[in-house]
Amino acid sequence: MRQVLIAGIGSTPFGRHSEIAIQSLAIRAADAAIRESGIDRKQVGALYLGNFVSGPLTGQEVLAGLVADGLGLGQIPCTKVEGACASGGIAFRHAYLAVASGMCDAALAVGVEKMTHADTATTTAALNCAMDNRSDGISGLTFPGLFGLAWQIHAERYGTSRDQVSAVVSKNKANGLLNPLAQMGANVGADQILQSPLICDPLRLYDCCPTSDGAAALLLVAADKRAELASSPVAVMASAQTRGSARIAGHPDLCTFDATVMAAQAAYAQAGISAKDVDFVELHDCFSIAEIIDTEDLGIVPRGHGGGYALEGRTRVGGDIPVNPSGGLLSKGHPVGATGLGQIYESVLQLRGQHPNQVRDAAIGLTHNLGGTGVACTVNILKRIDA
Amino acid sequence: MHIKVLRCESCGTLDPGPRDLCAACQSDKLVLSEAPGAGALVSWTTIRRAPTRFKGQAPYVVAVVKLDAGLIITGRFSGTEENLRLDLPVEAVSEDEGAYTFAEKAS
Repeated sequence: MRQVLIAGIGSTPFGRHSEIAIQSLAIRAADAAIRESGIDRKQVGALYLGNFVSGPLTGQEVLAGLVADGLGLGQIPCTKVEGACASGGIAFRHAYLAVASGMCDAALAVGVEKMTHADTATTTAALNCAMDNRSDGISGLTFPGLFGLAWQIHAERYGTSRDQVSAVVSKNKANGLLNPLAQMGANVGADQILQSPLICDPLRLYDCCPTSDGAAALLLVAADKRAELASSPVAVMASAQTRGSARIAGHPDLCTFDATVMAAQAAYAQAGISAKDVDFVELHDCFSIAEIIDTEDLGIVPRGHGGGYALEGRTRVGGDIPVNPSGGLLSKGHPVGATGLGQIYESVLQLRGQHPNQVRDAAIGLTHNLGGTGVACTVNILKRIDA
Repeated sequence: MHIKVLRCESCGTLDPGPRDLCAACQSDKLVLSEAPGAGALVSWTTIRRAPTRFKGQAPYVVAVVKLDAGLIITGRFSGTEENLRLDLPVEAVSEDEGAYTFAEKAS
């Protein structure tokens, strides 16, 4: 496999884009990534587009071809990939493989979602397409509900407290205030979180990421293109993808996602590093408790200590291991198909030393994107090129 | 009451279904069977924002139950989540379109 570089990045702000068509959001982000790289767009040999529910929510499919057409790319293979909330991460991995394998010298990964125009019940129903609707779905379970189930067990088993979980919310909301792309950065304290309405006990409104519109894109090239680049590239050390159980009955423990554990182990092995070598993490905090579980599953925090690390400030910028300096899904937003690519966008800025919430001396970053009931997971490890 | 499950004729594994092949041995000889509806509460949550199909029923309690027969079932809990605890003994009391509702087991 060849060394792959991230040569260009682009992103719309995450939030509400009522007047912009879904394909236009994707084209804006992808055009920015192409222009920044300095690579001629006719050299792009493949496009992978991550999207989850454009059909049910916008009535538009064939997004990959539509976007390539709008960008003026050649008549190249264009593929939409879907893995629920991990769709963006999967698109990235396929673009990575296209370049690493030598199939092409440049590939584009684009992720997009448009959700804010739909009412809550419609959006909840669309997102529930990520569940096994012949088993778990018939009980009336929702995705916030899945994390409510996980929280009860985490609290019982490890003594994880409301204050510890609230520390995740406060941190990510504050990080989002520094990020111009973030949808809802805010200063929120434990009292305010506790006063927000219950969604799925014990999850309250502030424990849940918002619904969002947005797009993010990355242009990947073979390392031998480096001299042609107009931007400052970042190296891809590892890109791993795994499958977990598609239904709750297949999860022996609701307090961990085996897809995350396996993807992290595969990524560390591929990169030849261990968790302690990572300088910052952008992970899948779709709900506050998810960040606590993810930090444990990724091995950056000892099992059962996710809550304690959050409350002690050890996952803040300046702490032992900064988690979600971008604000994460909780604060930056979660335009589902774009999220995994947005995490990598943020990480590239960190590794270039250009992030608005910069982690000092960041040399190695990890991104983690989880889909469905843990049915799909991607973990990527990225490196500053001189590191 | 009993719960409808799938039993693999080749290896005997029980599965909450639906499933096309046995999860343990991939045999396609899965037959409809029954398992006792008694088990222990694995976890629960109260759904207050429901998807379209269940909107009129919220709030309701979703419960994950490990049946004594070894299977894990996602269903409902009858009533509120007050006094629920992990490992609470429960039993299935009703079924609606394939979804089972559990209640605390009468002692």
